[in-house]
Amino acid sequence: MNAYNSLVKDLAPKKFNKPSIIWVLFLLIIIGAGLIAYIDQLIKGQEVTNMRDYALWGIYISNFVFFVATSFVGSVTVAILRLTNNEWRTPLVRIAEIISVACIIMAGITIMIDMARPDRLLNLFIHARLQSPITWDVIIIPTYIVISLLLLYFPLLPDLAILKKYYAKTSPKLSKWYGKLSLNWKGSKAQKAIQTKSIKVIAIMIIPVGLLLQTIDAWLFSTTYRIGWDSTNFAPYFISGAFVAGVGALVTVIYIVRKVNKLEKYITDFHFDKLGKFLALACLTYLFFNINEYLIPAFTAKKGEAVHLKTLFTGLYATLFWIVTIGGLVLPIIMLLFKRGRKPLPMFIIGVVVVIGSWWKRYIIVTPTLLHPFLPIDGVPESWHHYFPSLHEWLITFATLAMAFLIITLLVRYLPVIPIQRTADEQKISVSEKKSES
Amino acid sequence: MSNSIKNIKQLELRIFFLMILSITLCTLSIQDVTAQEVKKNRVRLKADYVKVMGDDSYFDIKASAKIEKKNVPVSNIDIIIYHELNDDQIKLGTVTTDNNGEHRFIINNFNTIKTDTTNTYNFLISFKGNDAFKKAKKSMQFKDANITTEIITKDSINYISATLRETSTDSLLVDQSLNVQVQRLFQSLRIGEEFNNTDENGTIFVPIEAGIPGVDGNLIIEVVLNDSDEYGTVKGLVKAPIGVPIVDESTFDQRTMWSPRNKTPIFILIFTNLLIVGIWGIIVYLISNLFKIVKLKS
Amino acid sequence: MKNNKTNSRRKFLDKGLKLGLVTAIGGIGLSKITSKLNATTENSSEDKIELMTTDGTLVQVDSTEVIVEKKSQDHDKKYNVREGMPNRKFVMVVDLAKCKNALKCQIACNKGHYITGDNAWMKVYEMQESKETAPYWMPMTCQHCDQPACVTVCPVDATFKRRDGLVLIDNERCIGCRFCMAACPYSTRVFNWGEPGQEITLNMNMEGHIPSPEHAGMPSIKGTVDKCDFCPHMIDKNKLPHCVTACPNGVFYFGDKYEDTVTNGEETLRFKKLLKDKAGYRFMEGLGTEPSVYYLPPVDRLVDFEDGLDKYNKYQSVEKPE
Repeated sequence: MNAYNSLVKDLAPKKFNKPSIIWVLFLLIIIGAGLIAYIDQLIKGQEVTNMRDYALWGIYISNFVFFVATSFVGSVTVAILRLTNNEWRTPLVRIAEIISVACIIMAGITIMIDMARPDRLLNLFIHARLQSPITWDVIIIPTYIVISLLLLYFPLLPDLAILKKYYAKTSPKLSKWYGKLSLNWKGSKAQKAIQTKSIKVIAIMIIPVGLLLQTIDAWLFSTTYRIGWDSTNFAPYFISGAFVAGVGALVTVIYIVRKVNKLEKYITDFHFDKLGKFLALACLTYLFFNINEYLIPAFTAKKGEAVHLKTLFTGLYATLFWIVTIGGLVLPIIMLLFKRGRKPLPMFIIGVVVVIGSWWKRYIIVTPTLLHPFLPIDGVPESWHHYFPSLHEWLITFATLAMAFLIITLLVRYLPVIPIQRTADEQKISVSEKKSES
Repeated sequence: MSNSIKNIKQLELRIFFLMILSITLCTLSIQDVTAQEVKKNRVRLKADYVKVMGDDSYFDIKASAKIEKKNVPVSNIDIIIYHELNDDQIKLGTVTTDNNGEHRFIINNFNTIKTDTTNTYNFLISFKGNDAFKKAKKSMQFKDANITTEIITKDSINYISATLRETSTDSLLVDQSLNVQVQRLFQSLRIGEEFNNTDENGTIFVPIEAGIPGVDGNLIIEVVLNDSDEYGTVKGLVKAPIGVPIVDESTFDQRTMWSPRNKTPIFILIFTNLLIVGIWGIIVYLISNLFKIVKLKS
Repeated sequence: MKNNKTNSRRKFLDKGLKLGLVTAIGGIGLSKITSKLNATTENSSEDKIELMTTDGTLVQVDSTEVIVEKKSQDHDKKYNVREGMPNRKFVMVVDLAKCKNALKCQIACNKGHYITGDNAWMKVYEMQESKETAPYWMPMTCQHCDQPACVTVCPVDATFKRRDGLVLIDNERCIGCRFCMAACPYSTRVFNWGEPGQEITLNMNMEGHIPSPEHAGMPSIKGTVDKCDFCPHMIDKNKLPHCVTACPNGVFYFGDKYEDTVTNGEETLRFKKLLKDKAGYRFMEGLGTEPSVYYLPPVDRLVDFEDGLDKYNKYQSVEKPE
């Protein structure tokens, strides 16, 4: 078989095997449980959560921030690496785009779960006040969803045409769908010109929009007076945090997909090595902003800041804070500085640690601040002085994470996770070779 | 003979029995009534007579009761107001107390009500009683007094001059304490001394301090004979533009960060709309590119 | 024959007595029944009322058949509820020297707004700036800031700032995002996490009452936010807010800043002079929210701080009905 055909065979999406089906069923069960919990929340109101007047935002919001942060991977991998001419990104971009799409869609859904009156959703459009950071969020998230989808779709066109041919005999129905979605892609010069130009435009546009998305997310917190949130540092802090979460998620998913689809030939140790350095850069940047955020206020130790930092360093949230900071940030940096740390399996472990650390980091950003307001917490039941999510909140949160995984799984199932046409172009394999060889 | 005696005796017995029965029944029912009476509470009626010059006169009626050692307002009871004249009781009206046990009864056509021979007005308010409360009544006697007011400006200081007279005899009332105050939203604000006693001309002359704010500079000055035993409360009002005009300092009309959406700050309007139009314009261009690709078939 | 006559006479008397007794009993019974009936329909008169139908004809209707509809609360509004009363700016002055933590203000506010949750809108805090400075009681409600952080962040214009200074909430518009609660530095907003159930637990009667931002808490709506409203529903009737009237120590003064007058129900004073004489200030002035609530420092205190401790309940601010 010639180079081109073997390339297509390797990269074409494969049917679900048994473990994959079990995986999907597992996700569906979690999503089902979450759905039931959500319906219960709609009926009874948010009293089914453990949020109360002081801990007025909880894991719904920290989960939302996590999704927004992780969706930054599209901008980072596809656009920033492109603008810096890092050619090794080719086998990684499709997965990065898929993760972006899944996460930003889930961010949109997750924030609606936190609204206590979702029946009044339209008010956000009819009565929108442009002065409110939430309105900015309502504008930027759909915008980023559309751009991410376009970023996924445009480079996909040639691959869809290839898959149409590939499945023409084995799965005619699927082939027809690929054909329709490929928008009559013939690979002509005119079509290529439009496609190339469009991808260039998207790649440039997604960077400011992505940065704006992370910034607005940060401003949801830093436009308040609260200690721990009222920081001029927040926007770059969140951007670098998104950088970390995004690349960490990418590493994790890449490893799994590579194993399941047997793509070791295309995503090699070299790619992991590069990704490792990229992740180390992200973590170092994030560490710098963490130091700014947590160490510098300790210098002047204004009373409010001192209380907040004490809670994080030695108080109620100390264990969580240090696990997240040392385990989720410092240790990965150290490990990634060594070549051995950048091998696939260690990378996967580091990726998982970074992602879980990112999730809990956002919990640390949201909850402790709310539990020490300016005025003492007074005149309310003792349970209101603490916050730990309720069963409903956990079920719903896991369901959103499962939904994100499900979207990724389904997209990986039906789309070539490594761009076929681009790989062929880069390796200078063309269809015409088939003719020359036969 | 024995039969008739027996019959008579039977009859007597029956009569006796029936009488006992009816008496017990009657006493039982009476007991019932008195039992209710014992449970009923006493209502205390209070009525303040207020006369506002150039406006209606009214009674501020208040009903309260002492239940379990606490003073509780009695709401929703009917009170009838009578004018008493020469042993006649002329019904003026019926009112029902509100949730606070109060009601303001405006006396319509006060000038048609006559005084007795001592120039005194006699009124009676009564409550007929209900299941929970005993009946109660309160009588009021007062003479009518009036206050005439005038604003005088001397050496650029504003003064209020007010004269207190008894209406029926048109005599000046001397050495009565009057309050001078400016009308405000909840309670009037006192001007001048706590006690302003009328001189031998039944008049007070009080300076009004400068710098009292009022809508468009208008102030309503009140001269009040407060809760006098003889005359009730008499209020004289005078409206004068001697105050400092109020300036609206609110930011309601301005474009601010806390204004409603129709008053968004210009910077935000322009910046966000430019961004939205710019970005979505490009998105529309990109989607149109997709259509172009479809159309290019070869 | 004589016997017969006697017998018949006796029979007649007999029957007569029986009849008389029956009548007496019946009469007493009837009078009781009718008195009970009369008690319920005492107010109804036999009068007929003349009314006009929609097509202009006059009809006579029994007054008992006419139901009087309670006048709607905002029927005669001369101002837009979102704009507020013209030529007014409401301020409150809290005299910390007089506060004994009697908590009558909190109880009256809870009652007047039918609060069923666990968080009162009026709180009295134990305050002590530092170890060496003296503790004092500080009542705190919504400060109705002139630069309200809560209004700035509301995405749907559910909370708004009026011309007369009040910051109110439109519970029909609120989407429950709680951003306003996150933004408020005074922790004064409360949230209805579940069904408030006021009509059940507190027998709140909504008959004839049209919900309006001017009477917060009537009703409270699940999934929306609530807070002190400075009682515009009382101001409309020229009455002071519930907390002001309820305080037995005259701690709260309320009034119109434009009129330069505040009153606590007993004393009526010039606002600017009060602040000047007693060195009034605002809480957390440095935040720049420009609150409408002024505090008079706890100087020359009438009571000891410790006397308020027995009423202090760290974990409860709303009394629950038994």
